[in-house]
Amino acid sequence: MAALGTAGTARAAETTGTAGTPGRPAGQTSMVKQAFDVYPTVRVGVIGIGNRGSGMANGWAAVPGCVVRAVCDVRAPRAKAKADQLAADGKPRPLEFGGSPDAYKEMLKRDDIDLVYIATPWEFHYEQGKAALLAGKHVLVELPIATELDQLWDLVNTSERTRRHLLLSENVSYGRNELAMLRMAHDGAFGDITNGHGGYLHDLRELLFSNTYYTDSWRRLWHTRSTASFYPMHGLAPIAAAMDINRGDRMVTLRATATEPKGLADYRARFVPEGHPSWQETYVNGDLVTCLIDTADGRIIRAEHDVSSPRPYSRINTIAGSRGIFEDYAGPSPTGGRIYIEPDHGGHSWRDFKSYRDEYDHWLWKKIGDDAANNGGHGGMDYVLQWRTVQCMRAGLVPDMDVYDAAAWCSPVPLSVMSLENKGRPVPVPDFTRGSWVNIRLGLDTRESDMPPVA
Amino acid sequence: MPIEPSRTALSRRSFAVAGAGAVLLPATVLAGTARAADAAQTEVTVSPIDLDGPAVTTVTVTVRNTAPKRLRDVRVSFSGPVGWVVEPEERAVRGGIDPNSHATVTFELLVPAPSSGFQLLNFTATALYEGGDGLTRATVTRTERRGEPLPTLAAAYNNVGITDESNTAPGDFDGGGNSFSAQKLADVGLSPGASVTALGADLTWPDTSPGTKDNASSGGQAISLSGSGSKLVFLGSGVGNNAVGTARVFYTDGTSSTGSFGFPNWSFQNVTDHGATQIAASNGRNRQDGYGNAGVTYSVFAHSVPLDAGKTVDLVVLPGQGGIHIFAMAIAG
Repeated sequence: MAALGTAGTARAAETTGTAGTPGRPAGQTSMVKQAFDVYPTVRVGVIGIGNRGSGMANGWAAVPGCVVRAVCDVRAPRAKAKADQLAADGKPRPLEFGGSPDAYKEMLKRDDIDLVYIATPWEFHYEQGKAALLAGKHVLVELPIATELDQLWDLVNTSERTRRHLLLSENVSYGRNELAMLRMAHDGAFGDITNGHGGYLHDLRELLFSNTYYTDSWRRLWHTRSTASFYPMHGLAPIAAAMDINRGDRMVTLRATATEPKGLADYRARFVPEGHPSWQETYVNGDLVTCLIDTADGRIIRAEHDVSSPRPYSRINTIAGSRGIFEDYAGPSPTGGRIYIEPDHGGHSWRDFKSYRDEYDHWLWKKIGDDAANNGGHGGMDYVLQWRTVQCMRAGLVPDMDVYDAAAWCSPVPLSVMSLENKGRPVPVPDFTRGSWVNIRLGLDTRESDMPPVA
Repeated sequence: MPIEPSRTALSRRSFAVAGAGAVLLPATVLAGTARAADAAQTEVTVSPIDLDGPAVTTVTVTVRNTAPKRLRDVRVSFSGPVGWVVEPEERAVRGGIDPNSHATVTFELLVPAPSSGFQLLNFTATALYEGGDGLTRATVTRTERRGEPLPTLAAAYNNVGITDESNTAPGDFDGGGNSFSAQKLADVGLSPGASVTALGADLTWPDTSPGTKDNASSGGQAISLSGSGSKLVFLGSGVGNNAVGTARVFYTDGTSSTGSFGFPNWSFQNVTDHGATQIAASNGRNRQDGYGNAGVTYSVFAHSVPLDAGKTVDLVVLPGQGGIHIFAMAIAG
C-alpha cells in the first residue's frame, strides 16, 4: 500500500477516465453489481457444436437446474447429432437449428432461452454475442468476445442498454490453483502484489494443420492475416483477478513484442504433405507475442501467447509481491505449483504448493470438485464455470465476472495489433468501466452458497 | 501512442470529502481512542471492523480535535494488513476541524475469507494536519484477532531439527538438509523430554523421536500459554544470519506486550550474538549422507522477552521470521 501523500505517484496520477473513453450514451447504466433476475431453470441455447461446443453442451445438461433447450450449428447434422446424444442420455431433447450461417438468428427468436452459449470461431463471436443481447438473452462467449476495440465497446454498450450480461467463458478463472492463488493474494500472503505473469503457451501445431479439428482451418488462418496476441486471456484473467483489475485497479497501458513467425512454416515443411491447402499460406503472426501491461497501481502484467512452437503446455500463472511468489507449471508437485513466501519460507528454496492450495481451496472446488471431475473437461474447470453461472442465474446473484472484465481481458487482442504496428510503443487500455474501476467489490472470491434446489 | 491526461482527473488515492462525505460532529467521548503523544490533542479512532469475509466492509475513522486551535489541511489515511485492498487509501477533510469537534471519514475494505489458524490483524489510521496541537500527525492502530491459537508449541512444530545418526535423511533444520545429532545432543543433556533450566525458566526439551517434527520455524504462529511471570523464555537456535524478530504476548485482560529476541546461527555466528545465551554445544551435525562435521560446534540457545508484571498470559504470537527455530518455551517467575 502506498504511504501518505501519494499525490504525484504513478498511481495517483492515474485517473478515472482516459482519453478516448467514450461517454456513456443516454439511456444506459452500468452493469457493475447488476444481479441476475431469478431463473428457476436456466435454459441454454448453444451456438456452435464443434469440439468445444459439443463438450460444453454436455456440461450444461449436467448442471442441476439447467437444460440445453436448443443447439445450433451451421452444419445441421452436428446439431442433430448433439440433440440425439443428449436425448439418448436421458436429457430433454433440444431444439435443432442449423443449415445456414443465419440459423442462430432463428434460435434467438425463441422466448424459452435464457442463456446463449457461443462456441463458434472467433470471427463470429461479436456478431452473435450482440445479437443474443439484443434478443434479450444473457450470453456466455468463448474467448475472445470480440477482436476489435470498437466491437468491445459496442458489446459493453449493448449489455448496458439491454440490461443483459455478456460474460467471457473464461474457464481458467475457475481453475483450482488460480482460485487458491486469488484467495492467497487477498489474504496478503504475497504481500503487496507487484507483478504477475500469465499466458497461453500451447503447442497447437498438429491441431492447426489438422483437416478436421478446427472447422475450415479457421484458427490457422488467423495466423495468415493478423499480427496479434490472439488468445492471451487464459493467462491474463487469473492475474487480473488477483490484482483486482476493475475492482480497485485497472490496466492502463499495453506494449507488445513479437518474435519472428517460424514455427508453423517449419512444422509444415517437416510434417505436412505437399498439396495440403496450407502450402498456399504465409504465416505472419509471431510465434511468441508478449504483452507488458502497466496497471494504475504500478503493477506489471506479462501476458504471453504462443501456439506455434514446440513446448509443453503452460499458462505460466505466476503472481509475486513484497512477501513472496507463486509459480504454476513449475515442478513435480501434484498441483504443478511451487511457492516461496515469507515468513513461512527461507533458504532460497522453493516449496510445494499443495498445502497452501489445500488451505486456500475455493469453496466451489470443495463443494463440487468431485462433480467437476466427473462432468467437465480441462480438469473440471469447465463444469465449475458452468455450475457457478447457473447458480448465479437461478439464485439471482451478481455474476463473478462481468462485461467489463470480458472487454478488458480481450482488449490485448486489438491493442497488441496497435502496439506492434508502432514498434512496441505503449498504447492506452480503455477503461470500459468508465470510472467505476476505483471501487472495490467482490469478484471470483465469494461467499459459499448453495445451488437452489431443483423442483 | 502517448497517454493523455484525463479531463476528469480524480485520483483514487486522494479523495477529498466534504458535506455528506465528511461528517462534522460535536465532540463526544470516543471509546478506544488513542493519542499520538501525551501532549497530543488530536485523537484518531478506527471503528470496529466486520471480519466476516469475503466481503467489502466500511471502516469509519474519526479525527477529534480537542485543541483550542482549528485543524487545517487534514488528510486521513487508512491501511489494513499487507496485501489487503483499501479504497481509497487517503481522504482529505475539506474545511478542517474546529476545536472540540470531530470529523469522520470512511474507507472501503476488502476483507478476505478467514484462513485457517489464528490471525493478528492490524489496521492503522493516520491523520496529517496543520494547526490544532501543532504535532502535525496522529496515528492509531487497531488490532483485531481472528481464529483460534494453537493449543501448544508442539502443535506448531513444522520442522525436523534432530535426527538419529543412523537415519539422517528426514532432517532439514537449516533448509539444506542438515540437522542436530540426537546422540550428540544427548551427550550434552538434551535427550527427549529432558528438563532444561535457562534464564530462570524450567523448560522441557521436545519429547519427540529423532527424525520427526520437533521445532517451530517461527512464522507468526499463535500459541496458547497460561501463567504469569517476569519473562517468557525461548529455547532454540538460528538459521541464517538474521534470526531476530518480535514476539507478541496477549494477556487475559485483552492487552498485549511485545519483545524482540533472536538466536545466533546454529554454528557460524558468535554464541552471544543477538543477546542470546548458549545452553548447549553439540559436536558436529547430521548431514543427508550421515553424521559429519565433527569438531564443529552446533548450539542451542536461550533468549527471552519481558512480560507485563501482574498479568496472566493468554497466548503468544511468534515472530514472523522463519530463521528463528524454537524447541521449547516457558514463563520464568
